[in-house]
Amino acid sequence: MKRRDFVKFLGVTPGALAGSGSLADAQERLFENLLRPKQQDPADMWVVHQTTCTECPAGCGVLVKGREGRPVKLEGDPDHPINRGGLCMRGQASLGRLYHQERLREPLARGADGSWEPISWNAALDRISNALVESRGGSRNVYLSSRTTGSLAQLLDEFAASLNVERLPDLELFSYGALREAYDVLFGRREVPAYHVEEADLLVTVGADLFESFISPVRFARHVSEGLEHHLDWYHLEPQLTMTGTNAGHRIHLHAGSEQWLLAYLLKSAQPRSPLPARVLDAVPDVTIEQAFARTGVTPEQLQGLVAAWDAAEHPLVIAGGVSTAHAGGLPTALLAGLLQESSGAIGNLVDFGEAENYDSVGTPGELVDRVVDLASANVGVCFLSRLHTLAPVAGLQEVAGSAVLTVGLTDFLYPPTEACDLLLPISHSLESWGDVETYRGLTSVVRPAFTPLFDTVAEGDILLHLMAAPGNWEDYVARQWQAAGADVEEQPFLERPTRPVSTRLRAAPTADRLASSWTPDTLEEPVLAFSPSVRFFDGRSQVISLLNEIPDPLTAVSYGWALSISEDDAMMQSVEEGHVVQVSALGSEDFFPVRVHPAFDFAVLSLGMEHAATAALPIDANTGELIRCIGGVELGRVRDSAVLTVLSGSMDASGRGVLPNDVHHPPGVEAHEPGHEPRRLYPTPEHETYRWAMAIDLDKCTGCSACVAACYVENNISIAGPDEHRKGREMSWIRIQPYLDGDRPIEFMPVMCQQCGNAPCETVCPVYATYHNPDGLNAQVYNRCVGTRYCANNCPYKARRFNWFAGQRPEPMDLLVNPDVSVRPKGVMEKCTFCVQRIREAKDHAKDEDRIVLDGEFTTACAQSCPSGAIVFGNLLDENSEVYRWAHSENVHRILEGLGTEPAVYYLRQDNRGDTGHE
Amino acid sequence: MKVLRLIPYAVLFGYVGAAAVGLVVLLALRSDGGVGPDQPIAFSHQIHAADLALDCTHCHQTVEVSRFPGIPSTDVCMVCHEFTATDRPDIQRLTRLHNEGRPVEWIKVHSVPWHVYFTHKRHIKAEIECTACHSDVTVQLPVRQVRSFDMGMCVNCHRANGAPTDCWTCHK
Repeated sequence: MKRRDFVKFLGVTPGALAGSGSLADAQERLFENLLRPKQQDPADMWVVHQTTCTECPAGCGVLVKGREGRPVKLEGDPDHPINRGGLCMRGQASLGRLYHQERLREPLARGADGSWEPISWNAALDRISNALVESRGGSRNVYLSSRTTGSLAQLLDEFAASLNVERLPDLELFSYGALREAYDVLFGRREVPAYHVEEADLLVTVGADLFESFISPVRFARHVSEGLEHHLDWYHLEPQLTMTGTNAGHRIHLHAGSEQWLLAYLLKSAQPRSPLPARVLDAVPDVTIEQAFARTGVTPEQLQGLVAAWDAAEHPLVIAGGVSTAHAGGLPTALLAGLLQESSGAIGNLVDFGEAENYDSVGTPGELVDRVVDLASANVGVCFLSRLHTLAPVAGLQEVAGSAVLTVGLTDFLYPPTEACDLLLPISHSLESWGDVETYRGLTSVVRPAFTPLFDTVAEGDILLHLMAAPGNWEDYVARQWQAAGADVEEQPFLERPTRPVSTRLRAAPTADRLASSWTPDTLEEPVLAFSPSVRFFDGRSQVISLLNEIPDPLTAVSYGWALSISEDDAMMQSVEEGHVVQVSALGSEDFFPVRVHPAFDFAVLSLGMEHAATAALPIDANTGELIRCIGGVELGRVRDSAVLTVLSGSMDASGRGVLPNDVHHPPGVEAHEPGHEPRRLYPTPEHETYRWAMAIDLDKCTGCSACVAACYVENNISIAGPDEHRKGREMSWIRIQPYLDGDRPIEFMPVMCQQCGNAPCETVCPVYATYHNPDGLNAQVYNRCVGTRYCANNCPYKARRFNWFAGQRPEPMDLLVNPDVSVRPKGVMEKCTFCVQRIREAKDHAKDEDRIVLDGEFTTACAQSCPSGAIVFGNLLDENSEVYRWAHSENVHRILEGLGTEPAVYYLRQDNRGDTGHE
Repeated sequence: MKVLRLIPYAVLFGYVGAAAVGLVVLLALRSDGGVGPDQPIAFSHQIHAADLALDCTHCHQTVEVSRFPGIPSTDVCMVCHEFTATDRPDIQRLTRLHNEGRPVEWIKVHSVPWHVYFTHKRHIKAEIECTACHSDVTVQLPVRQVRSFDMGMCVNCHRANGAPTDCWTCHK
């Protein structure tokens, strides 16, 4: 080795030894910008693009923040009409889809032995073109995709017309079949209307999981949060506990399948504002309060309370949905909810068909089954399966796809439908391609490529245009569509068009007939198996994203793997214990599920995540075509063995320790103390000159949705520990949603991160001074100084510190998903929430350029930015005009374990009494 | 026998001694190797910054607004070198790279460790001369690291100039 090489080696090794190999390699050589932009952009400048999230059909606007040519963070677009800055956990984590190691990277063809072999784009497209030509001899070509709107829907119709391809109804597990069928019967509008929760003063939701998967969860979270400021009263009735239910002021459990009884009782008992036709009323069974109680299990007091609240409200709004419209009584439930909306005068304002959700092209699984029966006897030429993660809900579909001459999968992962495919075309991620999303009538949002494709992928639109031999590319096509609407796709992130008011008239005859014919007096036999909405995986499509598996389900607190959640009483009656692995009779599958025994869950209801519905062949409701998500009379099979559930939340019992407000806390202005004695201070209380960064969290607004957790992971390069580490109780998340069972609600969620204590117990025990209190009030952690004694973590009363037992794994190309402003921590180092110090540093740097201090609201932390309900504010506590100062000095504020004298900088707001929850 | 028993100690001292000497040598080499790395193009700061007296910001255009000074892209070079010194092999190589749309793979000379946040902008705005850290690059061919970039150098200068010495000013 030459001496010079040796010196070079020395220069590089410390970085490599420190465990951030990829970063050290990148430092070794300097690549200047190849072509100089108009003005040379500094390498540390964030490049921000406005686009639309496509992880679920809600279509939230996002800002893509990129550095050095790659997207590294998504944030909700504050200007977008749907989410106004918030972004859910799935949206935050969707970068994990873009950078997923198992993403398809090139076109693949099925080889002779059934394995996948690479094929060139030209060869693949030629094969499809040839097969389309051959199909003219009498076979039928079909195109099946998930929900498609906007320009792509337009192009698909043109494609279908020009190449003799039948476009099947789009397949969605959440097809809102019952709601659309009901509104069709009631008003002749087969649509999902917009529900304007923000304008209601009483909200009654029956099964509708507003915060998990129902239509637009981020928008609902924001609107309900706004509603709470106007004293929105909220009754939520549901058979099985959901995250939405835990947030309602009045959460009432009812028997599965009894929703129609409850709504019939409410309709007959409440004062109608606009009377319904006698013919319709006659078709609604008269339900006495005793009958309603007997069927639903809702106590007479609760029923009377509900009717009284309904009568007293000026703008009551009832929404049925979720599991409550996904069983045999789903259609009468949806019809009665529609009738209540009509009789309370909500139709036309709170329930708005003018801004109806765009589900025009979406079919129900039932409709698809009919089409499949029709196709089964035909010769299928080319079968396109686009953006589908499952075919399981539609019986026979997999067989039809398998029997086609050529089955083409347009996909980004080897999802189960690809098993039936002969050819796989990898499609670009929405951050790599053009497009648009027409979420609801009156709003189209653009999908813009923020960056060049990582792999050899192509946009679906370009594939279609190529097969059509049409001139121009997909980008031009989208631009033309926007131009025709008088908009510029390059300039406008979304296009809002005024909507026409829709006049509706109740169709009495069909309503009465259909109500009578679909009324089912029976409720489901208990115990019931319910497929709960999943805030993490939506309908199962997001389960491929590793980060979403790492974040615990807010409700069950289980992170990795399936779990069958049951109540303590059920566990006792079925003689199973937590972790027992059992079979479930109703599913008829060979799958075993570990049992999660949860004290907050309702008796006689077993629940599985909706993601499991993507793999199970569930029955279909004949009335609505919707998947049945509530199955009665289930039995648990034998206990096979037992497994360790990955539950990291520790005790769910606040036990009067001063976590939730209790005697330990104090009226505002009085010094914190443990009952009986003042805290003794060994160290002087630190003083702050210019800044004391602080956070305030409104627990009444916090829904537990964990968007903040995902945002924090991505922003701060937090490594993913994986299932094995989780099973050992090792987690890396800097912010966690701690569930507590002894609050006012069935489960109370508390976001806990480093409390940035004034007198931090962690600081005094560090033997190497790697953690200390900085002049801005931050509890700083210096990674390169840390030697990993873990004393600090042991001494932290908030369990906020995380230790790197191993260096984080970032399988290529995940190594590109690194925020360059934040260190990638090596093995053996302690880490924790920094209050996004990189953002503080950036804001201070900017302020210094302008010779001022940082202004309130100039920046915020990643968690606060992402919160859909605006429950977190961050700022300078020394600034008396700041939002955080106002929140921290409001009534009902407390700090966790305040009596310890740690002087935390995180303030929690919570009304002491939230009213009767109806939870037993 | 006594002598034999001492052998392990002698070996141990030998190792420790050798390691200590090695460490001193290595530290000396690190801070000032005397010769910088061979760069793909033998760029001379002497010609550009001394003889032609171009300002540093002429090429390092983002040094006043960014953490990074900005290594010029090839088209900055080509503003002059489309016409200047086109007979030199290095310039011909540069032109070829530029025309092929390929970057020059410069070897990085000055770097701070992964856990350090350093911003050129703040130091330039505080009127710290470039030479304070980079020494006089016009007399170095190729450019080499003259001053050691260890924490002591940073902290001493911060103390002398009343700059913040909070760890999180520089550690990320």
